[in-house]
Amino acid sequence: MARLIKTEKEVEGRYSEQWVVVEEDALEQWPEGPLRTVGRPATRVDGLARARGEARYTQDIQLPGMLHAAVLRSPHARARVKQIDLTPASELAGVRGAVGPGELDVLTDEPNYEGEAVAAVVADTADHARAALEEISIEWEVLEPLLDVDQALARESFLSDPKLYERGDIERGFAEADVVVEAEYRTQSVLHNALETHQTICEWEGETVNVYTSTQWLWGVRDEVAAAFDLPKDKVRVICRFMGGGFGAKGSAGDYTMIAAELARRTGRPVHCRLDRREENVNSGNRNPTIQKLRLGARSDGILTALSADYVCLLGWDGWLPPTAGPVQMLYACDNVRTVEYGVRLNSPPMDAFRAPGFVEGTFGLECALDELAAKLDLDPLELRRRNHADHDPLDERPFSGKQLMECYRRAEPHWERRHEVHARADGPWKHGVGIATQLWYGGGGPPSYAWVRLAGDGTATVLTAMQDIGTGTRTAMAQIAAEELGLPVERVTVELGDTAHGPYAVVSGGSSTTPSMGPAVRAAAGDVARQIREIAAQRFDVEERVLSLAEGKVINADGGSWLLEEITGLLEDGQILGKGARGPNPAGMRVMTYGIQVAEVAVDVETGEVVVERIYAVHDIGRVINPLGAESQIEGGIIQAIGHSLSEQRLLDPRSGKVLTRTLDAYKLPTIADVPEIVSELVDVPDAHLTNLGSKGLGEPPIVPTAAAIANAIRDATGADVRSLPITREEMLGALHEADERRRVPERVGAAPA
Amino acid sequence: MVVELTINGNAYELEAPVGRTLAEVLRLDLGLTGTKIACGEGHCGACTVQLDGVPVLSCITLVHTVGDREVTTIEGLREHPLVEAFVEADATQCGFCTPGQIVTASALLAANASPSDDEIRHAMAGNLCRCGTYPKIERAIHTVAGDGGGS
Amino acid sequence: MELLRPDSAEAAAAALGNGSVALAGGTELVPLLRDGIVRAEKLVELRDVVPRGVDGTRIGAGTTLAELEVDPDIPQALREACSLAASPQLRSMSTLGGNLLQATRCWYWRLNFPCYLHGGDTCHAKAGQHREHAIFGNERCASAHPSDPAAALLALGARLRTTSREFSLVDLYRLPTDEERNVTALEPGEVILELDVPRPEASVYLKAMERRKWSFAIVGVAAARFADSIRLGLAGVAPIPWALSSVADLEQATPLLGTAYKVQIARALVRRAVEAVSAPAGA
Repeated sequence: MARLIKTEKEVEGRYSEQWVVVEEDALEQWPEGPLRTVGRPATRVDGLARARGEARYTQDIQLPGMLHAAVLRSPHARARVKQIDLTPASELAGVRGAVGPGELDVLTDEPNYEGEAVAAVVADTADHARAALEEISIEWEVLEPLLDVDQALARESFLSDPKLYERGDIERGFAEADVVVEAEYRTQSVLHNALETHQTICEWEGETVNVYTSTQWLWGVRDEVAAAFDLPKDKVRVICRFMGGGFGAKGSAGDYTMIAAELARRTGRPVHCRLDRREENVNSGNRNPTIQKLRLGARSDGILTALSADYVCLLGWDGWLPPTAGPVQMLYACDNVRTVEYGVRLNSPPMDAFRAPGFVEGTFGLECALDELAAKLDLDPLELRRRNHADHDPLDERPFSGKQLMECYRRAEPHWERRHEVHARADGPWKHGVGIATQLWYGGGGPPSYAWVRLAGDGTATVLTAMQDIGTGTRTAMAQIAAEELGLPVERVTVELGDTAHGPYAVVSGGSSTTPSMGPAVRAAAGDVARQIREIAAQRFDVEERVLSLAEGKVINADGGSWLLEEITGLLEDGQILGKGARGPNPAGMRVMTYGIQVAEVAVDVETGEVVVERIYAVHDIGRVINPLGAESQIEGGIIQAIGHSLSEQRLLDPRSGKVLTRTLDAYKLPTIADVPEIVSELVDVPDAHLTNLGSKGLGEPPIVPTAAAIANAIRDATGADVRSLPITREEMLGALHEADERRRVPERVGAAPA
Repeated sequence: MVVELTINGNAYELEAPVGRTLAEVLRLDLGLTGTKIACGEGHCGACTVQLDGVPVLSCITLVHTVGDREVTTIEGLREHPLVEAFVEADATQCGFCTPGQIVTASALLAANASPSDDEIRHAMAGNLCRCGTYPKIERAIHTVAGDGGGS
Repeated sequence: MELLRPDSAEAAAAALGNGSVALAGGTELVPLLRDGIVRAEKLVELRDVVPRGVDGTRIGAGTTLAELEVDPDIPQALREACSLAASPQLRSMSTLGGNLLQATRCWYWRLNFPCYLHGGDTCHAKAGQHREHAIFGNERCASAHPSDPAAALLALGARLRTTSREFSLVDLYRLPTDEERNVTALEPGEVILELDVPRPEASVYLKAMERRKWSFAIVGVAAARFADSIRLGLAGVAPIPWALSSVADLEQATPLLGTAYKVQIARALVRRAVEAVSAPAGA
């Protein structure tokens, strides 16, 4: 029965209350451990299409008569258009239309960051369109941009009110501390750089607009386009069957979609608007830089008495305040906590979600500071973390729905113990060390999310749901879940996704929410089909329904004997058995989180500042694992991205003009295959007993969270140098080594710092 | 200006202005969209094709300079054992870089049937993968090389 | 645009200038054409007319870096410099001659800021972001020259033969001046044909990078020993490939605030390179 409830919905740490209609989760969780299909390694159901170059991404779609748009973006970080004339561009051969400020909401004549869209032209080819941009006559009044963070703080240039959080009595907490550490940490702006750039093709068919787009959320794009063009929502059909990566930056429609839709409407032809790599790296979002002032107090036995943190988040012109303080508030049991988060507004390109936004940055500061505290306490860093384990949610005393962090610590122990042999590798200028860091992140998913399953006469099943597979392997996971419930081999299940006209509403692929949101819905839909098969079989073969079960493509009678599934479905010829499923609610009054720990081994050349990450061990708790092979890939991918932001990636802005300097992939340095360490990973794989019919949480984000801190802690272990700023470039490394040398020369006063 | 090309063993003749890149011809004129454009300026390797077996960046190769060199794209390598090996090793996540990875890897294996980890890393360093499938790519290459997977 | 395919190097040289630009591997030129940093009416294709391959101490300017990185007959420093340069695909495409003529990776220059090197009157890097920039010769322009092979060839004392003359590689480069912003001294209508690369007793190329492969040099150091003398060539430290006569020369560096770390790296690499090529004690 449908049930109307008010539920707490969480996406990437942003909670909202909303009404949802949920259906009872009638299915019991499967038993722990690998089942027939779920919990066993599966190769990707769409792997061949991708590897053979057959998969059609948005970039590969060529519709008949398709035109190409190019966008005039502000070359200035802050300016006013005094005069603009599109006519010279419109009159060029091959140009079919142009649109300027005042004609479309996403176009502005007062840009507030470099790259903000001002006008667009559409032409027969992309080359024609780009050339036409040059012909737009435009006169600028260039204004002084606000780029300096101190100035911005002084002017209180905030995107939203500073966010204060307090529990306990912070002053008393520090008074109770035997040891206090205080330090400032900085993290940089990181660029997503999905290999498929942001892009959309729009095509109008009467009152309907078809939107082919590279997106993490079909339904969000649908709603945005419907609102912008004043259309009933289902007059917007959004399609993304293959998607070339997102990492958080493709959660909304974007200016390029609105431009394509408008120019397609005007020209009556399909229009493709594609960001090139440079636009991508200026204008499609970024992980915002942070400046973090942390102060930690602990008793001599390591028990944390006070955590205080100020976060200055340089958000750019737009965006939202990510939960940077989350780890300090939630990772450890501590009675006295105070955090303040400032979301600073600058004339720089807007931030967007980037794989565990906030927690990546916040974990770096907290987990580095914790190791500095451990050093001062002369306590084993792993033991310090154990002693401060939070048995329930420190925010509001709620129980955790499932938490295997102590088990993660236990499994990490032998890897942490390797540090003695790792230290012994020291050779000349090369110093070796080991560091750890704990991971906390959301990832529980939630309603509303729906799926349908259709079983055909030949005994093959199709899962229909308008979700996305952004490269994480969710298509495969859904096939496994349906196959498990239907007792079919995974080869007999097809997953049709990526089209709002071909399946029900699905959740955003963000916040590690796709599998935990969609998986239970798919299982419920498959369970609905399985129930019907049993009912039909019971009638056909005159047995009791309760003695029937589905396995290995058969309906099995508990009394012995079985029928091939086709013997039942075949009765219907081309008729189909249709099942529907919905995601049930999250457990009331519980906090759903993911956990883990990583152990990094590094080598540092103390003469040249070169840092080599040699090995990462990762263990995470995400509840039940659907596909261990795909999960391992997710872990490796998260760690490799983290190595990028730990060592080599940083967006640099020209301090005067506010222009992005590192917009090309020679200057913005993503990790290559040669930068990858040995990665050893495992998952605890215990279902979260309180969470849905699956007990599974998401894994897209957890692995990227702790890596940078583990690396920085390993560097301290190797060299004694405190690297407190990302990325740990050679100058950062050499500077930290220099400071460490200075400290050794001027030994600190004996005893703990005054509390 | 007329261009004659041999692509995956097939002869083509087409008209293209000087300045048009091989990638544009492959993708837009011939519909061979397995070759991807990710940076368009020679930095990422997604557009890699082979000219006479040598991996090059089609996004910065002017089509008129191809001459009589044989072009091999992912469409010509669909039956290469690397394709299956990439799937088996889970070396595709979003898959956008994968065709380029396979084109480069197949040239490596043609030149060196049993590459070491270091040789794989040296040869594959120009093919960026943002999803981080690198460990699986190494595994896939080792599988085809038949050496059971590196050190 | 038009494409010319001359049938000799001399014909190619004669076709250059007046809006005609030489095209070899294209890895540098094609992106610069698209960015409008180089403008051309005609492209003159050199692939079939510039010598390619290694013959004794002579290396054809049309030889690709990929061919050189595996050539056992060239000095180690050059082989290593080629092997550590750019990405595999770029090495397969780019020629040695083109590599020597490549422009800086300075982001201001590449993004077409009206900088000193583009004919303007300020170096934007100096007051801006310059962590990848120069520690020598940076009075007017702080750009860093990215060529690894050029550093190696400088240490090796290479000479160039062009369509019109022979000269030392040192003389190919000059710091930009108010009168002349081009950092290479090739005449219009001159094509590099060949390099003559003396055989040292020992040579090496060491390169500090931001990532382990496919990265332009933060500092690249080549050392070559001929009898008792060791010559040094550096990449990534000045607007042109930079020759040092000794380790002590590093004390003459004029780093910017954000490039001081490069001096420290250069010191370590120069010391290591010198050690690597020095004759074993007692030999």
